[in-house]
Amino acid sequence: MSTRLLSVRDLGITFLTDDGEIEVLRDVSFELNSGEVLGIVGESGCGKSMTALALIGLIPKPFGRISNGRILLEGEDLAVASEKRLRQVRGNDISMVFQEPMTSLNPVFTVGHQISETLRAHFDMSSRETWSRAIEMLKLVGIPSPEKRANEYPHQLSGGMRQRVMIAIALVCEPKLLIADEPTTALDVTVQAEILQLFRELQEKTGTAIILITHDIGVVAEMADRVMVMYAGKVVETGTARDFVYDPMHPYTHGLISCVPKLVHNPSYDPAPLLEIPGVVPSLRELKRTGCPFAPRCKNEIDKCRSAEPSLAEIADDHAVACWNRMETAW
Amino acid sequence: MILRRIVYAFVLLLAVLVMNFALIHLAPGDPVETLVGEMGGATPEFIEQMRAAYGLDQPFYIQLATYLGRVAQGDFGFSLYFNRPVLELMFHRIGPTILLVVTAVLIALTLGTFLGVLAAQRRNSWLSHLVTVFSLVGYSTPVFWVGIMLILVFSVALPIFPIAGMYQSDTSATGLAFLLEVLHHLILPAMTLALIYLAFYTRLSRASMIDVLDSDYVRTARAKGLKNYLVIYKHALRNAILPVVTFAGLQFGQVLSGAVLVETVFGWPGLGTLAYDSILRRDTPTLLAILFFSASLVIVVNMVTDIVYRYIDPRMRAEQ
Repeated sequence: MSTRLLSVRDLGITFLTDDGEIEVLRDVSFELNSGEVLGIVGESGCGKSMTALALIGLIPKPFGRISNGRILLEGEDLAVASEKRLRQVRGNDISMVFQEPMTSLNPVFTVGHQISETLRAHFDMSSRETWSRAIEMLKLVGIPSPEKRANEYPHQLSGGMRQRVMIAIALVCEPKLLIADEPTTALDVTVQAEILQLFRELQEKTGTAIILITHDIGVVAEMADRVMVMYAGKVVETGTARDFVYDPMHPYTHGLISCVPKLVHNPSYDPAPLLEIPGVVPSLRELKRTGCPFAPRCKNEIDKCRSAEPSLAEIADDHAVACWNRMETAW
Repeated sequence: MILRRIVYAFVLLLAVLVMNFALIHLAPGDPVETLVGEMGGATPEFIEQMRAAYGLDQPFYIQLATYLGRVAQGDFGFSLYFNRPVLELMFHRIGPTILLVVTAVLIALTLGTFLGVLAAQRRNSWLSHLVTVFSLVGYSTPVFWVGIMLILVFSVALPIFPIAGMYQSDTSATGLAFLLEVLHHLILPAMTLALIYLAFYTRLSRASMIDVLDSDYVRTARAKGLKNYLVIYKHALRNAILPVVTFAGLQFGQVLSGAVLVETVFGWPGLGTLAYDSILRRDTPTLLAILFFSASLVIVVNMVTDIVYRYIDPRMRAEQ
């Protein structure tokens, strides 16, 4: 019943730096069906946000460029689309909610204006129509007295409210795909829950596919149908959300999940020891091209890991891992 | 809020009056001696007589009180040199000065912002580097020198523009023709006065625009699918212009003092030349009136800037 919406094949992105061109994204491939929620997980600097920006053609120019691969949105390759065509896609077919609600809205325009402007960019509508649509959107994202709020400026709203406005902007053109890049990271925990709840409601209501980028494992487990784990610009594991939580195969995925602090560890309520993955994400500049990029931090490392790079291999239906010595038993 | 600003403005003006008056009295030179010197000499009795007639024999504080009292009634006295009411003298000079200053500020603001925005968009291009060099040169070149060079190039070597004045002294042009003639005379002095501020606003708006272009809300604007010109000239510029407006208001006083030099170089019949001549002639009442008028103008412009700022930045409105 669900149709293929997005198909990313072998996507590679390079950045021009003082040390020459470096690859920030390599061989990233994934599929997304309409109405599906895909979580992209990984530490900072692993290429999650760059993947998202590539989808809407906003890789920082002039230094970054798509060096390889295809981004097929309903069959159309966005990797080679013209700037004009990408502009039509942005905000209309694919829209995006960013991490920082405090700074992502323009301080000198009313929120109503910023919502209705998006509509005007894509449809031939009168300003009265777009304004009333903006108010409907504010109501939809749960902002009280939307008629009044529409005339207010971002600084008059709280962080949670602003993120709701960002979501309203992102959804006003009824996009096929919504990319949410760490949408709740900057918010209070209680507000986070509200925003996630809102995402879920709106997703059920509109059927929009969502790519949820986060480093919060809990959020992924809660929201996503499928999960893609990235490390050093590469996909290291993909699978269903269930596989991700209960049957992680890649030592990195395993590590990420072990790092989530447990509130309750044992009956005496001693705090559980905090776990970490030793080491840091390698700088892409220093990354050696031989071997698995995760090997220096990996507890399962074998000789082969240093000499050859593993590629993504299907180990079960809809579950693929890039590892020479994957976890045998999950827990 | 506005009322408090107006009260402050009045206090400030009073301070300006007292300071100017005191400074001029501290300065060396005696107006009566300058005056009789130009007449070709006089007896000591006549000089004393003149002093008494102008009230210059009174102690300083009496002179100050008398002066303040008269100013409060709108009486700026008579020019010692022309023996005509100061206000009447100034009346014909204000128009040309305002024309010159406003034109220069408009050129500097619009062209400067435009160049800055252009340079910010391609921050490593040759255009961007050219703008940086141009603004450094413009910023460090003295106004009078620029004026003289422009005259040498565009009036002497290539006689495109007139050397001096606001119109031909024997002009018979009226209406539109007269307007064009004034415009023709205006170009060189206005460009001269504008240059230094043009350089400054270019640098300022370039820096401000570079900051804003990296901001999250500009990324949001792009992610919405807005056309590039809307992203740049609506979303980015509306924010980048804020510091430019602030500085334009603050620097208005400097532009006014720059006008004194430019008017002198170009023989522009404005307040600047009158001020310059009045200094040489020790024409104290005229000088005081001009200083008072310029100070008022600066204060008014600053208030207007505040109001404009409130209009373009909603965050300022909230703080009221």
